[in-house]
Amino acid sequence: MENCLIETRGLTRRFGHQLAVNNLNLSVPAAGVYGFLGPNGAGKTTAIRMLLGLIRPNAGEVRLFGQPLKANHLSLMRRVGALVESPSLYPHLTGRENLEVTRRLLGSPRELIDVALDIIKLKKDAGRRVREYSLGMRQRLGLALALLNKPELLILDEPTNGLDPAGIHEMRDLIRRLPEEFGVTVFLSSHLLSEVEQIAGHIGIIHEGSLLFQGPLAELQQKQQTKLTVGVKQLEQAINCLANAGWTVKRVDELLNVSAKTPEDAVRINNLLVDQRLEVFHLSLSQGSLEDIFLTLTNGQMARSAA
Amino acid sequence: MAFFRALHAEALKLRRTLAFRVIFVLPFLVALLQFFIVLRTKKFPAGFRLWETIGTNSLQIWAVFMMPLLIALVTALLNGIEHSDKLWKHLFALPVPRQSVYLSKFVVAQSLMLVSTFVLAVLVIVVGIASTYLKPDLANPGPIPYLWFAKQAAFVWLASWLIIAIHTWISMRWSGFPIALGAGIGGTFFALFAASASLGKYYPWLLPMNIFIEGRLAVALALGIGGGIVAALLGCFEFVRRDVA
Repeated sequence: MENCLIETRGLTRRFGHQLAVNNLNLSVPAAGVYGFLGPNGAGKTTAIRMLLGLIRPNAGEVRLFGQPLKANHLSLMRRVGALVESPSLYPHLTGRENLEVTRRLLGSPRELIDVALDIIKLKKDAGRRVREYSLGMRQRLGLALALLNKPELLILDEPTNGLDPAGIHEMRDLIRRLPEEFGVTVFLSSHLLSEVEQIAGHIGIIHEGSLLFQGPLAELQQKQQTKLTVGVKQLEQAINCLANAGWTVKRVDELLNVSAKTPEDAVRINNLLVDQRLEVFHLSLSQGSLEDIFLTLTNGQMARSAA
Repeated sequence: MAFFRALHAEALKLRRTLAFRVIFVLPFLVALLQFFIVLRTKKFPAGFRLWETIGTNSLQIWAVFMMPLLIALVTALLNGIEHSDKLWKHLFALPVPRQSVYLSKFVVAQSLMLVSTFVLAVLVIVVGIASTYLKPDLANPGPIPYLWFAKQAAFVWLASWLIIAIHTWISMRWSGFPIALGAGIGGTFFALFAASASLGKYYPWLLPMNIFIEGRLAVALALGIGGGIVAALLGCFEFVRRDVA
């Protein structure tokens, strides 16, 4: 893929006998938000730690901005901001002092503190000690720390973890604004597809250390399947009738899922059932949710047996 | 330079910390003890050298007991603030060499011990001045030997570099107080036995005390300073290669 900000080749990391990340090949394009999805324990944080050079891979390579990370760690980190898991803050210092500590380390100009505070809307509380902060405020301050060196690439690991709905909403709005207003590319990990699909243009899905899908969100959406849900009083007879006519039928509680794709299919199935004097009380054609795809990809076995 | 930026950042982190308070409290306790010793002494021998006596006495209590424990406490506090909220992962994802973070921690610990040791020297001088008013037979103790105090305090401090380097590494490497304080108490405890042995000459926790023992000053200073620098570099070498959890 041309113009990749993050590229990994065969990235692998073991902890003892456990393979945390297995032959991971990420390609994160510049601009926009890349959603790095996977259930808890899938290897997201381990992968992110390797992207930042916090831990070393057993095999494979990380390239940021087209350059190998290993040989250029300092110069590459100058262009990257990161928030890994919970924000790392000094509770005995104020919000502003926390930013000042990182600013001194970076040697960046003083004005950037106010810029960062403006972006995360925390100016009013900047003089309070962080130990008095709510989780949402801490998370926003963590984001401000990541923004302090005016990064071109922002790596955020589960930035909404543990936040209440209002906090999640606020964080999501903030992240959405970053690429548009500041031209930052955001690499965002999450275990919630519903959250990522609202802001990400690109998606990578990781499960048990391996990448299951990577590409534009639209491509993932194309994998969505339509399904026809039928409610009929005589369930057993309906199943037989539809199966005989060549449809694949699955019973879900008191309803049936039929492998129909178009409205015409729905009409045909309805007629078939009514002709047999079966009493239809529900008929709906719907798109399978992305959540379904996600579950199918990450846990195919379970998703299928549940269906 | 990255090291000075890291040092500048460390200075801000000290604000409102216990580490920055305790370095004043412990010298005060030693000086107070010295004050009561002078106060309770009924008779002073003829030719009693007030300044040298209380100076040596206090600095010895300091060197053998208070200082090693304070080093354990201060380094554990300094690095505890990084461990508590998992700040290493933030620090090491910044474009800052890990070495400069490590070495700035060492230098801050050194600086705090320097301040603390000189605070003790000043407080002991204050105790001496107070005694000249409270004890008639100490009325004319002669001029205050400022230079002698400065030299003794500096020697004690220089000889403690090795302990500081060891504790800097321990407290960076392991989070929490038990290991850091355990090492400090253990090191100080064995010093009681090592003091009488000839190998005590090289025992890190005895080096600050050894500057008061005849024939041990040169080794105490050489091993304190040289060993301190080498241990700091070795600790740094080990630490920067670690995975950051």
